[in-house]
Amino acid sequence: MLDWVKVLSRPESRAGIVGWGVYIPRYRIKALDIARMWGFPEELIKSLWIEEKAVGAEDEDAVTIGWYAAKVALERGGVDPKEVGAVFFGTESKPYAVKPSATIVADALGISNIKMASDLEFACRAGGEGIRNAIALVSAGFMKYALAIGSDTAQAAPGDVLELTASSGGAAYLIGPSDKSVAIFEGVVTYVTDTPDFWRRDLCKYPKHGEIFTGEPAYFHHITSAVSILLSELGLKPEDFNYAVFHQPNGKFPLQVGRKLGFPKEKILPGIVTPWIGNTYNGSALIGLAKVLEQAKPGDRILVATFGSGAGSDAFSIVVKDGIDDVAKRGPLVEDLLKRKRYVSYGEYAKYRRLLIKV
Amino acid sequence: MVKVFVTWSSMIKVGRYFDKNYKELVKEVIDSLELGNKHIDYLIISSVLSARALNQLDISTMIAQYLGLNNVKTSRIETGESSGLAAIEYAYYLIKSNLAKNVLVVGIDKLTEYPTQVTNEHYNLILDYELETLRRVSPPNYAALVMKEYMRRYRVSREDLTIWPIKMHENAVQNPYAQLRFKVSKDKVLNSIVVSEPIRLLDTFPIGDGAAAVLLSSECSTECIEILSVEASTSLQFYLRDDILELPASKAALSKVISRSGLSSSELKNSLIELHDSYSIYGMLLLEELGITDKGSSWREVSNLDNINLSGGLKARGHPLGATGVYQLCEVHKLMTEGLGGNVFDGKYALIHSMSGPDYNARLCLIRRGE
Repeated sequence: MLDWVKVLSRPESRAGIVGWGVYIPRYRIKALDIARMWGFPEELIKSLWIEEKAVGAEDEDAVTIGWYAAKVALERGGVDPKEVGAVFFGTESKPYAVKPSATIVADALGISNIKMASDLEFACRAGGEGIRNAIALVSAGFMKYALAIGSDTAQAAPGDVLELTASSGGAAYLIGPSDKSVAIFEGVVTYVTDTPDFWRRDLCKYPKHGEIFTGEPAYFHHITSAVSILLSELGLKPEDFNYAVFHQPNGKFPLQVGRKLGFPKEKILPGIVTPWIGNTYNGSALIGLAKVLEQAKPGDRILVATFGSGAGSDAFSIVVKDGIDDVAKRGPLVEDLLKRKRYVSYGEYAKYRRLLIKV
Repeated sequence: MVKVFVTWSSMIKVGRYFDKNYKELVKEVIDSLELGNKHIDYLIISSVLSARALNQLDISTMIAQYLGLNNVKTSRIETGESSGLAAIEYAYYLIKSNLAKNVLVVGIDKLTEYPTQVTNEHYNLILDYELETLRRVSPPNYAALVMKEYMRRYRVSREDLTIWPIKMHENAVQNPYAQLRFKVSKDKVLNSIVVSEPIRLLDTFPIGDGAAAVLLSSECSTECIEILSVEASTSLQFYLRDDILELPASKAALSKVISRSGLSSSELKNSLIELHDSYSIYGMLLLEELGITDKGSSWREVSNLDNINLSGGLKARGHPLGATGVYQLCEVHKLMTEGLGGNVFDGKYALIHSMSGPDYNARLCLIRRGE
């Protein structure tokens, strides 16, 4: 049984998830096709656990993906866009280097001009930071609702091992007061250091990464640190959680980090999406969370840990409330978006993602 | 006649040390050295990639300065993959020729400073840059040719040759300093990524950082572990050899060790042996070259050999290039004295083998427990 007094003891519990939305492009390319194109061994894709990835079409970018996800989040929440006081857009693949994407999405959704709006950049965890900002603004009473979006059309140099996973997709969360929420934030911890595991210099088309250095000192260190601090602050153990969702650069890492922290596979698998859609960067953990929310029951406790290179992790403890089933039904389910797919060849993928440019 | 003894040894677990620089790794190794009234006459550093991966020339002076060793003679030795044993060879001759009484040998390399592709490019420089490296020939390519020829000539299947990594990983479980302390199965070896057909990832060494040190002295105190001889040789280029299943430098070094020490073949067979198995096929070929098993049949006997690569070998202990030879001597010293992860060797002789590339140069070091 949940101890509600304890659950509601921290300021972040005054905010919760009112609605959420996800968008995954229809096109998929099989990891095997990428492996064959570049001569990657098949064992590599098995060891990473990546089967296929979502490919944004020619007319899709981080903004269109984020807009759709945010539209569904508002619809799920049944909230008038005019009541939203902030839009945070987390991405590392925004269409404009200078000019906010958050404003495009906000205006397209009909959100009030009297609002905060900005793009956030922190590799794959800017969306997570957007949620933290939204929680702070809502729980402090500055506004009723805030929208946090994580959306990407992730870039990877052709032939880089990243290309097997870097994909397109996004998720949006409408954060509001706990009495309007179907899941509340019990606690949040963010752990950030300066760790150069993955970067893209100005004017460079594709990012670079430190291979194995992206693992232990980056992904694993930051997630385990954020989660351990959160658990100790809340006095919780892995057994107290029904689900655990981690950032998913591939299918293997979330299971490994879960094992390190003491979360069994069964609690992690329900939120795994990367093997079938690839790593949607800012969408990765947030799409996983959406999938879990769509199957969670009132009273369930969910751990979510984002990760962004550079590096940092936000760990959230979320407790599900009554009414989640009804809200889940108001929008397309992740499960259905995963099934909605059409395969494309490497050539089509190269065209859609502008790896080949017609002159 | 001056004798040379291993009087102290120390090492760190081979692994990835992203949070420590090479000086800190060396210091960690040296911290347990208690000199008493001894004076270090010479500091010899073995490092293969110092100029490339660490951006440091004259690394031996930098290490001496960092350790606070003032007014010592220092130098860096580099002979490709056998550098560690080459450093021990020079230390041995310094003492043997009465030019030094105490020589500290340190092996240090950091292979995880760069992504794999860059580290591999560095490693490939152990071959002839103009004739081989530049033409994209790499050490695993040669090892692959040797393995293919071995399988063809002796009608051995690829599956049969999985026994070497299986055995090495088993051994490494016991070695607290080994990089890969887990067992592997036949399937895991056969399904690992191809490095150079038929060589797979689990046929070769992992990329890791390492630091190890030994103190060689002209006098021993309690347990006397004596270096009887260190011999070395070189060979022809791989592509000029009549028979690629022969390891000519290793063979020549062995015959020098035997003629100098008078080691009998049964003494050799009962020795504690550390072999340079950069690729699993070399481990098995070396057993044959040293006369421990018959030609073409070593793979049948690997699982029963309990005196070979108790460390796990390069395969599973790891192969931090310049440090590897020093690790081998550290492990032998520990096995013959205090023990290594619960293992103790109470026999009389130990033989350490190290080579570079496809046996381009080879070194052997014979060690005897003091009377």
